[in-house]
Amino acid sequence: MFMLSVYVISLYGNCFLCIKLKGLLYYSSDMSYQNTLIDQTAELLKNRLQELSVKQDIFKAVELRALYDQLRILPPEEKASFGQEVNALRQELTALVQATQVDAASLPPIDVTAPFASNTAVADRPHLLPTELGSVHPLMTEIATIVDIFGRMGFAAVESRQIDDDHHMFNTLNFPEGHPARDDFDTFTTEQTDKNGKSLIAPAHTSIMQHRILKAGKAQLEAGTPIASVMPGRVFRNEDLDATHEHTFYQLEGVYVSTGVNAGMLMATLQTFLNSYFGQELKTKTQPFYFPFTEPSFEFAIERPAVLRKDDSEEQQWLELVGCGMIHPNVLRHAGIDPEVYTGFAWGFGIERLVLMKYGIEDIRHFESAKLDFLRQFS
Amino acid sequence: MERGSVVKVSVNWIKEYLDFELPPTDELVACIGAQIGAVEAVIDLGAQYKDVLIARVVSCEKLADSDHLNVCWIDDGGKASNVERNDQGLVQVVCGAPNVRAGILVAWLPPGTTVPSSFGKDPFVLEARSLRGTLSNGMLASPKELAIGDGHEGIMEIDAGEPGADFAKTYKLDDVIIDVENKMFTHRPDCFGELGVAREVAAVLGQQFTSPDWYKNPSKELPLSADRLPLVIKNELPELVPRFMAVAISGLKVQPSPIWLQTLLSRVGIRPINNIVDVTNYMMMLTGQPLHAYDYDKVRALDGTDTATLIARNPRDSERLTLLNGKTIDPRKEAIMIATETTPVGLGGVMGGAETEVTDATVAIILECATFDMYSIRRTSMAHGLFSDAVTRFNKGQSPLQNEAVLLKAAQELLAGGTAQLASDVLDSTSLPSETLQRGSLHPPMSIETAFINARLGFLLSGSEMATVLANAEFTVESHDDWLQVSAPFWRTDIELREDIVEEVGRLHGFDKLPLQLPLRSVAPATTNYLFNFKTAIRNQLSRGGANEVLTYSFVHGKLLDNVGQNKDLAFKLNNALSPELQYYRLSLVPSLLNKVHANVKSGYDEFALFELGKVHSLDYIDSDADGLPQEFEKLAFVYAANDKLKKSGAAYHMAKYYLESLASHFGLALRFEPITTMPDSSFVKPFDPERCAAVSDVASGEPLGIVGEFSAAVRKNLKLPVFSAGFELDIEALFGIAGSKGYRTLSKFPATEQDICFRIPNILSYGELQQAVFSDLSVIKPPNSLLQISPLDIYQRQDDTDHKQITFRLRLTSYERTLTDKEVSNLVEQLAASLAQKFDVAQV
Repeated sequence: MFMLSVYVISLYGNCFLCIKLKGLLYYSSDMSYQNTLIDQTAELLKNRLQELSVKQDIFKAVELRALYDQLRILPPEEKASFGQEVNALRQELTALVQATQVDAASLPPIDVTAPFASNTAVADRPHLLPTELGSVHPLMTEIATIVDIFGRMGFAAVESRQIDDDHHMFNTLNFPEGHPARDDFDTFTTEQTDKNGKSLIAPAHTSIMQHRILKAGKAQLEAGTPIASVMPGRVFRNEDLDATHEHTFYQLEGVYVSTGVNAGMLMATLQTFLNSYFGQELKTKTQPFYFPFTEPSFEFAIERPAVLRKDDSEEQQWLELVGCGMIHPNVLRHAGIDPEVYTGFAWGFGIERLVLMKYGIEDIRHFESAKLDFLRQFS
Repeated sequence: MERGSVVKVSVNWIKEYLDFELPPTDELVACIGAQIGAVEAVIDLGAQYKDVLIARVVSCEKLADSDHLNVCWIDDGGKASNVERNDQGLVQVVCGAPNVRAGILVAWLPPGTTVPSSFGKDPFVLEARSLRGTLSNGMLASPKELAIGDGHEGIMEIDAGEPGADFAKTYKLDDVIIDVENKMFTHRPDCFGELGVAREVAAVLGQQFTSPDWYKNPSKELPLSADRLPLVIKNELPELVPRFMAVAISGLKVQPSPIWLQTLLSRVGIRPINNIVDVTNYMMMLTGQPLHAYDYDKVRALDGTDTATLIARNPRDSERLTLLNGKTIDPRKEAIMIATETTPVGLGGVMGGAETEVTDATVAIILECATFDMYSIRRTSMAHGLFSDAVTRFNKGQSPLQNEAVLLKAAQELLAGGTAQLASDVLDSTSLPSETLQRGSLHPPMSIETAFINARLGFLLSGSEMATVLANAEFTVESHDDWLQVSAPFWRTDIELREDIVEEVGRLHGFDKLPLQLPLRSVAPATTNYLFNFKTAIRNQLSRGGANEVLTYSFVHGKLLDNVGQNKDLAFKLNNALSPELQYYRLSLVPSLLNKVHANVKSGYDEFALFELGKVHSLDYIDSDADGLPQEFEKLAFVYAANDKLKKSGAAYHMAKYYLESLASHFGLALRFEPITTMPDSSFVKPFDPERCAAVSDVASGEPLGIVGEFSAAVRKNLKLPVFSAGFELDIEALFGIAGSKGYRTLSKFPATEQDICFRIPNILSYGELQQAVFSDLSVIKPPNSLLQISPLDIYQRQDDTDHKQITFRLRLTSYERTLTDKEVSNLVEQLAASLAQKFDVAQV
């Protein structure tokens, strides 16, 4: 600190008074600049510096930049003196910033068994923050709500994995090796491989759970109890972020297998869930689709509430929400379930879209931003 | 790769193959969406061309003072209104095109017209304006201005219609283009052609479709030249090239295609090039089957013999190929090459070679119509980053049974009205089984019970109703009492299983007619997922304590791992991360939370607590779960931070500990906090300050649960954390294993008695040790059937005696039998002080 002060003093003469108080440095400065604009700016910036939590940010000040802009357009005869003073101001600020850098020094050991440290002021004793500030993440709240609805409909919840193998991502779902449908998933893979030497996979859909659920449920199915499960989980797609696309998002997979299951039941199940979730009768429509693991396959769309439409186009009217279909016989067979006896349906949908729609949230990136501005709205 | 790609359906084009009136556009679109594939956009092409008129240039004279401008008087049949006309009714237009001349028909954009190429983007509306002092009423348009091609060297010379005719109507540009998402067609290569879509449209509208004769019965009657061009094809890759057909055509003159063809291609997004390439594209857009034309003479010249030879084979060592797009590649060794005896001339199914390209000088071609293995095409396309319209179609697996029809129709188009003739036999090398060729269907006929179909759809359709919907799409169906025999037409590659027939019947009949009925179920409750509920309880408990749950990415920057001292080599690493920020699977959750502290402080939050529940992974456990897969660990992380400007006294550690203890107490757990003498080499402890953190375990079971503490100086510095910050990370499953509920204690009928007691103890004795001794000693001597509670009141250290501290407890005793007197309690306290004094250097103050 002393060295720094000497340096500063030698530069500016007797213009600094440096007081060390409680480990923090406070400056008072009587340095004045010849040029009024620079002098005023200096005063302004020094005051602002005290407020800044990141002192470095002072160098981004528009007022400072304005001085440099000014310098560029000055007539040559004024340039030299103005330039010198701007540089002097910059150096003064640099010195001030450096002086305030708290060294991230190690702190002394503490008694980890104590409820609080010695001599802690009563107001600073450990306490919980006010309840009204706290919040559960809206996605987690909604997943719990969704799982609850399906729970009441008879579906058990099993959470999905976050790292998996090619076998569960593609093979057991009837994607032949090298099938172009694999391209639709923009899957992240890892450098590390599974026991067959294939890259491990960041699941791109919760359908990775289908084979596991079917295998685990085979015995109960054959004993007469349908397989009915929902599998919420985090999935990943290699796609660029924007207001409506995330590379990390949540899906909920569902599987129902029994005897005599038909596609009408699938539609009824999804419609019943959505009406319950949104608390109103929604218009829905189905479109044919293609997934290797369902046949037939559908895309299930719901009518977007009018307030959430950007325009009157068909695209805005419908929200394609759910990919679904009758489970492909090869997928059942893979799990040892006889597709001649049992049929079933499966679906998967993204959680974010439902939640964006429910609350009218404008940007999907808020979900994983950890911004308190966002989170505390759900207190 | 193909996400967001669409098949462009031209309503005017498909109409050519339909013998019934299509419903209005909105109904047609709804129908396509519901039964064929999602509609991405509907484009009214007519609007783009609505004011363009065909006109004849009557006179054309150089404009004085200009080296290139001409003054033209044009005849529009008097069609345009609001233009100045001369006494013959002609309109004056100034035109700089080199090919403008009297007598030709042109496309005229009258004043007030939006230039079609600028339509919908940045509309440019023409007006009557003066050029070098001469009035020009609008303009005569080039292909580029008409958005029909790239040509901008001259105006488009019209080859049909008469002055005053509507340009759009003449060339069917009064069209509606429906963009259908092509994902739906992953297994429907036939729908990558207008013919396939037309068939689907007919079938979903309940109409019988009939394929054109040339498609079902290819014509073999094309004129064969007397001057034969020797042509040989060889197929060394019968597995990967199930069908390889080619024919030589001579007597060609390369020129622009007739305008109907140019406009047809432009309607579906294909750029017209010349009359040969345009015909191959036309057939591809019509049937989904790509074709390729080679310059015959160039192919033959490569071998220096009399014969042109095309061979399907793998690349030879160090063989390179320059493609039509100018790119030179070293083909992957499994790629399908098309080569002469000496030289590669194309990357089969992906892109042709530059060396044998059709140019203006071409007079003879080899027309190739082959089927390539979809998987091979996909790998080659990915390996070389080559994506073309042909790749999009070949990697869906085109039917090898339509090649002959497509090849002959293409030849017929090339021969139409010109001097061209076939110059070789139609060569066909196929590895298809002869029964497939004879059957004319890729799979044998299938027997299927109507009950099988109805059971899977929930419909109650009769066999004949099913037969009708299938027959409309040109399936061959024999209807029996309760079963059908179904044979798929030759272009269908996707009909293999009975479930594929189910899909077809359901879709063509209409999925919107599915009966909505929930499955019946037993009243037995669904299995409860207790771990899921436990996590919900953690969330609720921490948020009640004012903490905010966050979600952060599972992938982190290597720098974050470095910044908290974790070892990157233990983290799963992505091959194809979007950016370095998302390259590694995280090893623990706390660093992700720490990464979010600074930004929130900066946003003006001075004191807050964040928590996250999530999974972590480590290469140490790459195959340790039950399936031999990487083990997933469920963690709970929490971070508390207070801006240093709040100048908090004490240590942040205790805040984190307090949160942790209040959470544990909710689940009926008492925790033990032990200083960590040697930090274990585990990722999750790395961010913590060894001097200011504790290992956390359950008192009752001894189960280790995790760590709580402040963060090391380096971590604080690297992540710009306030000094007053601390957190914890716990194993959720371990916690779940021992968690219970808080439990209930009977209330006593008698009042409690409280007394405070203060001890001076040496600094090295921990609070916990003293508290434990106080508790156990008092437990022994307290009155029977009573409840003892001890809470800390104060911990004080004198400035002049840093070797000691003074701890004040409040004792609270409640008997279930009687009211305790102060005297009794004072006695207990005296006994306690005496017994403590024997164990430690302790003095009551």
